[in-house]
Amino acid sequence: MKPKVGFYELTGCAGDMLNMLNCEDQLLSLFDVVEVKSFAMASSAHDEDTELDIAFVEGSVSTEENLHLLKRVREKSKILVAVGHCAIFGGVQISENNWEERLKKVYGDVNFIHTRPIPHEPLGMFVRVDAVIPGCPINKHQFLSAAGKLLLGTMPELYSFAVCAECKWKENECLLMKGKICLGPITRGGCGAICPTHNIPCIGCFGPVEEENVSSEYKLLLEKGYSPEELRNRMKIFGGKVREVK
Amino acid sequence: MNPYEMQRARIVRIYRLTDDVKFFQVRPYMGTEVCELNYRPGQFMMISLPGIGEAPFSISSTPSRPGLYEFCIRKVGRLTEKIFELKENAVIWLRGPYGNGFPVEQMEGHDLLIIMGGLGAAPLRSLLLYALDNRELFGKIYLLHGARTPDDMLFREEFLELMHRDDLVCLLTVDRDDTGRWPAYTGVVTELFRYVKGIDPKNTYAAVCGPPVMYKFVVEKLVELQIPKNQILMTLERRMKCGIGKCGHCAIEYIYTCLDGPVFTYWDVLHMKELI
Amino acid sequence: MRVIKLDKTKLVEYLRSLEEWGEVWGPVRKGEKFVFAKKDPSEFDLTARRTILPPKKFFVPPRFTMFSYRDGRWEEEFDESRRIIFGLHPCDIFGILILDRLFMEHYPDPYYIKRRKNTAILGFSCLPDEKCFCIATNTHSVEEGFDLFFSDVEGEFYLVWVGSSLGDDLTRIREDLFDEDVTEEDIERYIEWRRKRDKMFKTDLDLTGMPEIVEISYKRPIWEKIGEACLSCGSCSMVCPTCNCYNVVDENVFYEERIKRDRHWDSCMFKEYSLVAGGHNFREKRSDRLKLFYTHKLTGFMSQFGKPACVGCGRCVDACPVGINVPNVAKALKGEKVDAIWARGEE
Repeated sequence: MKPKVGFYELTGCAGDMLNMLNCEDQLLSLFDVVEVKSFAMASSAHDEDTELDIAFVEGSVSTEENLHLLKRVREKSKILVAVGHCAIFGGVQISENNWEERLKKVYGDVNFIHTRPIPHEPLGMFVRVDAVIPGCPINKHQFLSAAGKLLLGTMPELYSFAVCAECKWKENECLLMKGKICLGPITRGGCGAICPTHNIPCIGCFGPVEEENVSSEYKLLLEKGYSPEELRNRMKIFGGKVREVK
Repeated sequence: MNPYEMQRARIVRIYRLTDDVKFFQVRPYMGTEVCELNYRPGQFMMISLPGIGEAPFSISSTPSRPGLYEFCIRKVGRLTEKIFELKENAVIWLRGPYGNGFPVEQMEGHDLLIIMGGLGAAPLRSLLLYALDNRELFGKIYLLHGARTPDDMLFREEFLELMHRDDLVCLLTVDRDDTGRWPAYTGVVTELFRYVKGIDPKNTYAAVCGPPVMYKFVVEKLVELQIPKNQILMTLERRMKCGIGKCGHCAIEYIYTCLDGPVFTYWDVLHMKELI
Repeated sequence: MRVIKLDKTKLVEYLRSLEEWGEVWGPVRKGEKFVFAKKDPSEFDLTARRTILPPKKFFVPPRFTMFSYRDGRWEEEFDESRRIIFGLHPCDIFGILILDRLFMEHYPDPYYIKRRKNTAILGFSCLPDEKCFCIATNTHSVEEGFDLFFSDVEGEFYLVWVGSSLGDDLTRIREDLFDEDVTEEDIERYIEWRRKRDKMFKTDLDLTGMPEIVEISYKRPIWEKIGEACLSCGSCSMVCPTCNCYNVVDENVFYEERIKRDRHWDSCMFKEYSLVAGGHNFREKRSDRLKLFYTHKLTGFMSQFGKPACVGCGRCVDACPVGINVPNVAKALKGEKVDAIWARGEE
């Protein structure tokens, strides 16, 4: 029996879904071994009643409709995988707290009729999340690796260490040593250190690495002459609610 | 020869020992004859499932009973969850045996105190059965085994049987007995020491394995009994990815648990800072 | 040992000729640093100091496949390419000798051995910069572990030490380029060059008696201080020529109908490193992990080897953003002044 799989989007840019679709050479093999029940971007299948073995959910929860869908998906799925930074940490939109103010600034005084907005939260705030595929967007090799594990009925085993490890494997010059605000040491790896490989400092899009040492990196960059404000802003972008920047 | 290469094996029989521990009898594919498996009590093997991974497991059987490896496996992670799903006749992959094992030749002619708690029964059952199968080679044998409740005691039936034997003293205890039918002691394992009598400390080997908290209190008792520190043996657990001294995960200071252990003496523990 | 001479202007020509034996790799510039790369020998930078990654990447690549599992069988996967690595410095060669002991004795590792046997080591002499401290680890002169070693003494020739039978074969590929006649003058020049090199070291690091200091310092608060600064990024392990730890992971490559078992570099600085199933972590604290790393580098690693595994290459000095490196840690343990963010006291 092929596992039944669904792909769902809450509030996000669909960049993770796009990256999955980007696995062109492997996608057909994936669709050979699973039964896709719902995948708005790739399939006309739209079966919302069948129980699922695996649900991939992208995006953060930012409306009542999102929340309703998430709860529904959780109920009918054996394994729920949070895909991408929004789903795992809440995305860049939760880096500031003044939600009501920002909502007003963007939408003005309007009546929401279709669905009511609520403060953005990652999936884990509402439901149990069984596995994560980090990134903004996710890395397609990590998606395939996670999918492979899930197909065997076990949990994904993705890199848990910081970006720096893979960055060294690529033999990149250390941008932090060169005085750039590179967040590699406090960011979860798995991206293949793609930005530093192109000489662009890590902005932290894979989210905080477990046991991140923010205070040490902060202190170090302060010493290199950056202002507390600049550092705080940079570290908060992808810090979700877990990263505390003093 | 590739030391990472695995050997195909078949699960012959599975018994459930407790809620989260199962006992597996495993036979390597080696034709039809009963094969002599060359290992020592206290050694471990790496067990693999393709796509899931590989991890070290103590051997619970004794080489004195050829043909099968026995493992006592607790469901704690991805690999063990999958092993738990396997049925009899399923294929698993093995390599090993690895580690130093117990110095059984040196232990011959000595009294033995075998002290186990929790999953510590897995490696120590091997030593116990080995000693019982070679009974004439050893002096007095004491088994001290502690568990939380009768349901949690690994090899409960097997060990309860041993209580009837007169060539060893089998002391079993549980912290708590809700059944009211537990035929042995209640209390922590260290309380059993009061029943240990008539051993010659200088001529005794103690073997200890259990949860990390157990070591400290048990070792205190053993030192009180004046068993020499290098005759107090303990078998330790560490993360391992190779079993052959390469991957580094089981390093303790400059030794490797997989090569220099997992059996260490209390003297090792005193001069290696991170052992316990 | 056979010692011959090579006209300096013939080096590129000679290295090119070795392509008939295998791929030729050497140090090339990458930004302000160097890396070993497969390039035309004319691009090799003879002034190169330490490369970002040490030559261990040739013998145990950062990530590679050990086995593929297909149709109920495991198949080994080996890298069979032949390589010539030019430009290894004495510290790098000492690093390889240490890895040799770990991987080639006692359960020989076929992945390492195959690559090692298919790789020719062509050493090249060097002059120290401010980060080099191989003189303190006594790894600044090397007598074994290479197939050829080129000493760049001043003058028109390289002195070439032939260290193995393979090295001898390699010189015979272009025997015409070499000169057997090493003169008294050449020897004097070499001795003078050594003297000059030894004087160039700027390090004041003295590692005498270090194992005892590490041993006695086990519970000192300094470790907590260093641990607070450590980013756990693992860069030190990645760039260290003797760090050999690895993790093993299985991947289900369903789109190729196989499962592969990969091996990738790991670091004892990572939290997961000492975690066992069930959740107990034997090194929960960063300071505990640092102690393991520095025990290996400064006291000893592998019971049968028992020697410190630091070769003084200075890569940790180059790699750690917060200045946790062998010279700084050794000095701090000895109570000497250290210029590092964690040694500056509370701001």
